[in-house]
Amino acid sequence: MIELRDIRKVFNEGKPHALTAVDGVSLVLDARAVTVLQGPSGSGKTTLLSLVGCMARPTEGRILLGDREITSLPERFLTDVRRRTFGFIFQQFNLVKGISALENVMLPAYPLGEHHASLKKRARALLDLFGILPRESSKAEWLSGGEAQRTAICRALINDPQIIIADEPTAHLDTKLSREFMDIVGRFKAEQKTVIIASHDPLVYGSPVVDRVITMRDGKIEAAGR
Amino acid sequence: MGNWFERQRNIIDFTLSSLVRRKGKNLALLLVYALLVFLLASVMFFTHALRREASFVLQGAPEIVVQRMSAGRHELIPARYLGMIKGIRGVSGVRGRLWGYYFDPFSGANYTLMVPEAFSHGSGDVIIGQGIARTRLVGPGDVLSFQRYDGTPAILTVREVLPSASELVSSDLIVLSENDFRRFFGMAPGLYTDIVLTVRNAKEVATVAGKVQKLLPDTRPILKSEILRTYDTIFDWRSGIIVVILSSAVLAFIIFAWDKASGLSAEERKEIGILKAIGWETSDVLLMKFWEGAAVSLTAFLAGVLLAYVHVFFTPVMLFEPVLKGWSTLYPSFKLVPFINPYQVATLFFLTVVPYTVATIVPSWRAATIDPDSVMRS
Repeated sequence: MIELRDIRKVFNEGKPHALTAVDGVSLVLDARAVTVLQGPSGSGKTTLLSLVGCMARPTEGRILLGDREITSLPERFLTDVRRRTFGFIFQQFNLVKGISALENVMLPAYPLGEHHASLKKRARALLDLFGILPRESSKAEWLSGGEAQRTAICRALINDPQIIIADEPTAHLDTKLSREFMDIVGRFKAEQKTVIIASHDPLVYGSPVVDRVITMRDGKIEAAGR
Repeated sequence: MGNWFERQRNIIDFTLSSLVRRKGKNLALLLVYALLVFLLASVMFFTHALRREASFVLQGAPEIVVQRMSAGRHELIPARYLGMIKGIRGVSGVRGRLWGYYFDPFSGANYTLMVPEAFSHGSGDVIIGQGIARTRLVGPGDVLSFQRYDGTPAILTVREVLPSASELVSSDLIVLSENDFRRFFGMAPGLYTDIVLTVRNAKEVATVAGKVQKLLPDTRPILKSEILRTYDTIFDWRSGIIVVILSSAVLAFIIFAWDKASGLSAEERKEIGILKAIGWETSDVLLMKFWEGAAVSLTAFLAGVLLAYVHVFFTPVMLFEPVLKGWSTLYPSFKLVPFINPYQVATLFFLTVVPYTVATIVPSWRAATIDPDSVMRS
């Protein structure tokens, strides 16, 4: 369970161009469920997602991961929580160019000091699971949109996270690939993982695998979807 | 420990593949870097080896040389001084030396003519250095013709050519009999160029030199240690010239390296953002950048030092020979004994590898402290 208590995030605080991206959000996100943050561009979905995923700290408010309050943790501990608990799938996929799909998948686990051979084996198993093992040695820039996304999904799963966070995952995919992605989300759910997605794609928030849709506007929750 | 080792290994693995990704940039950097290390290490090795060579040659030299001075200039010394010096307590041996210079218009070079303590050949015979043999195209059995002080020709037969091992100081040397020498320069018997003396106790050398000066105020005693110091100064001065010339290259490299190492491209910044977003700590990114800098600079350092070693000890040192070696126009061509001074290599290491590695880390540290969510917002 993730609990957000009166979260506020202001960028460039105290400056003339200060921007309040999230404004007083209180929310409880269920574990082992698929939650979609829906809303127009600039509604604060991505910011809220990055706060939940320990990528940024709120200006005000507290975030609890289970019983643990994570907002006040020093950077080192926050990073540790992030890499052991969360798997991220970005809008642009954000694969590192010039290295192979396999290396991209292994990348998040490098600093953890796992034995190289066993890490490689796990990464290959994931690529196999998502049907892109034949492309393991292809460089990131040579992968098609669908392959790149599946590589990004494998990368998000390499540290076996409990929570998967996806930011506009279907923004660069056609309908078929978008449906495929939601099937994968269904698999995550079946594996008892928590999935939080920010999207304004009806294919995502209208999908039957989604348990809850939270609508945001102007940094506030418009509808909590319960 | 195993975890630590694997972490390093994984990050090094990624670092190396990162370097390969930007091969154009890194290869250019590596080449320039290695070239600079090569130049600096060449000067260093060469100067040091020459200095060692000179000190080897001087090992057998006399402890004190006494020269007579007249109007501040070196003057011939009378034979009677020998007896006077011999009487000084502590002096174990004393000998008058005959040597001089001869300008050879044929080769445009100055030769050193010297009479040894015991000359194994007869009158009209000479032993010559490698440099003279090369320029005059002569060998044992050939004849050399020079002009005496009074214009009459001196025909001398070459009996031996000195071994190349001593060529640093013997390249321009002609060894001949006392009789031939005196006739050559018109030097009267009872006069010597200078006097050399040996001292029983090495600790008394300075005292004996003082006594000589007191007894014979018109002389100048020169100690072996002073000659060695002069050699050192000459080589230091010569290598200094090269280093000054190279300093512009060093400066150019510093600018180049700083630009390449410190200027992170937008792509590299984005990459650091991605790494942070997928769970890398700032310290992991810095570790990666450290290995990147270390890999480039260590490779360049090793390549440069190795090339310099080959250049100095196994090739004719084409680049610096004319400046660092040779007294006259006859350049000695001898093989230096390979020798590396660990202190010098360590100095070069700390002057090249360490600054570069630091230069790579600092800008990355700035980039690595950005919030990971910048990737999501980009």
